[in-house]
Amino acid sequence: MTDEPNKPLPPEIPAPAPPSHPRPEPGPPAGYEAMEGGFAPANILNKLLRKPLSLIHTLETSDEGAKLPVRLLLIAVASLAIFGLVVGSFSAGTQLWAAPLKIIGGFLFSALICLPSLYIFTCLGGLDAKFRTVGGLLCCMVALTSLLLVGFAPVVWLFSVSSNSIGFMGFLLVALWILCAGFGLTLVFRAGRTLGMQGSGHLVIWCFVFLLVTLQMPTTLRPVIGKSDQFLNLEEKRFFLQYWSEQITGEIDRAPVKEGTDGDELYD
Amino acid sequence: MPTTTWTHRLPYPALCRGDVGLLDAWIGGRQRGSVRICMLFIVLGCGAYGFTVGLWRGWEMAGYVAIKLPAAILGTLLVNGLLNGMLGLALGSGIGFRQSLQFLLSGFAIMSITLGALSPVTFFLAFNTPPPTDPAARDWHSLTLLAHTATIAMAGIISHRKLLGFVRTHAESRAAGTRTFFAWLAGNLFVGAQVSWILRPFFGSPGLEVQFLRPHPLEGSFYDSVLRAAINLITF
Repeated sequence: MTDEPNKPLPPEIPAPAPPSHPRPEPGPPAGYEAMEGGFAPANILNKLLRKPLSLIHTLETSDEGAKLPVRLLLIAVASLAIFGLVVGSFSAGTQLWAAPLKIIGGFLFSALICLPSLYIFTCLGGLDAKFRTVGGLLCCMVALTSLLLVGFAPVVWLFSVSSNSIGFMGFLLVALWILCAGFGLTLVFRAGRTLGMQGSGHLVIWCFVFLLVTLQMPTTLRPVIGKSDQFLNLEEKRFFLQYWSEQITGEIDRAPVKEGTDGDELYD
Repeated sequence: MPTTTWTHRLPYPALCRGDVGLLDAWIGGRQRGSVRICMLFIVLGCGAYGFTVGLWRGWEMAGYVAIKLPAAILGTLLVNGLLNGMLGLALGSGIGFRQSLQFLLSGFAIMSITLGALSPVTFFLAFNTPPPTDPAARDWHSLTLLAHTATIAMAGIISHRKLLGFVRTHAESRAAGTRTFFAWLAGNLFVGAQVSWILRPFFGSPGLEVQFLRPHPLEGSFYDSVLRAAINLITF
C-alpha cells in the first residue's frame, strides 16, 4: 500500500496470434481418379473390383468414356452366360442354353426399364451428371453384380449336382442374387455421393424398385430352373411371391413320406 | 443450393434437381415458355404413367387413363387457379397469380417426370398381373390399386417437398411461404379429389364395363361417397 497516485495500467500486449493452419481443401473421394491402363477388358475387370470409382471418373470426364458402357455390358453378358450355364446344369437338357439366355436377357431388360427412373431419381437427389454417366453407372453395377455371381458359380454347381430340390435351389439363387446385387447397389450409392448427390433417400426407393423388378423377372421368364415343355410361359401370369409359394407347397406335397425313419440314414 | 446453368431444351434434370437458377428465371419471367414446358411434362409424364394404370383392363382403358390423368391435374389447377393466387397474396408470401401458377405447374411437372420415369416399371407390373378374368381378379385389382396409389403418393411427396423448398425461398418470409404452400396443398387436395371423382374410372373394377366416364359423372361427389361408406361401416 502506497500513497502514490494510481498509475494508468500499461496497455495490454495482445498475445501473438497462433499460426494459421487453414483447413486443407477436401480432395476427391478415394478412388475417384483417372483410370489407368486403357480400356482392355482385363484392366476394366481389375478396376471394377478394385477401383470402381475410377470407371465413374472416366465416364464423367473423359471423351473416351463412351467406350466403357459397351465393354462393361460385354463383361456382364459373358459373366451371366457362365453363371446361367451352371444354373442350367441343375436340370440339364434344354436348360443348358435356355437358362443362360433367360438370365442374360432378363437382367439386361430389367436394367433397361429401370434406367429412366435411375436418372430421374439421381436428379431428384441433386446429382448434376450427364445421362451417359448415369447409364454408364448402371452398366458398372450390372457388370459388378454379374462378376460376383460368377464368383459364386462353383457354389451353385456344388448344390446343383447334389440336390434335387427346386425350392432349395430357387432359394439359394435368390439369396445369392440379393447378396451380389447388394454390392452393385452399394457402388451406385458411392458413385452418387462422389458425384455430388446430396440426398440418398431417392436412391433407396429406386433400389427397392430395381430389386422388385429383378425378382419378378425370373417368374415372368419361367422356368429358369426345372423343366418345362415350353420355352416361355407368358400367358399364365404370376407374381413372384405367389409362384414361389405354389412351388414350395407343391414340392412339400410331392415329397415322399418314409416310414420308420429317424434321421440315422442321413449319413449312411 | 448451388445455381447451375441448364443446357437442355427441356430442362427436366435441372427441374428435378431443384435448380434455383431455373426457377428464378421462370418466376421472374426471364425464360419464356415455362408454362408450356411444364404442361408438356405433365401431359407426357402422367400420360405415360396413366397408360400403364389402365392397361390391366385393356388397351382401351389404357388410352382413356392416359388422357384422364393429366386432365385431372390440369383441371384441378384450372379450377383452383384464382384461389391459389389469392391465397398467395392474402397469406403474405407476395406470390401472385402468375407466380403461383408457375410454382404449382413446376411441382406437378416434377411429379409427372417421376411417374413417367417409373412407367416402364409399372408397365412390367401390369404385364405380370393376372387378367381381370382370373378367379382372384378382385384381389389383383386391390393389389394393383394399392401399388399405384403408393407410387403416386410417393411421387407426390417427393415433388411437393421440392415445391415447399421453392416457395420458402421465393416468399417474403419462410413462415409465409410455408403457410401458402399448405393452403395450396389443402385446396388442391380438396378439389383434386372431386375432379378425379368426376373423371373416374381410372383403375376399372373387374366386372364393370370399360368406359371413358361413368354414367352421370356430375351427379354425386367424392365426399358423399366417403360419407356413405363411413356410415355403412359404422352401422355394419
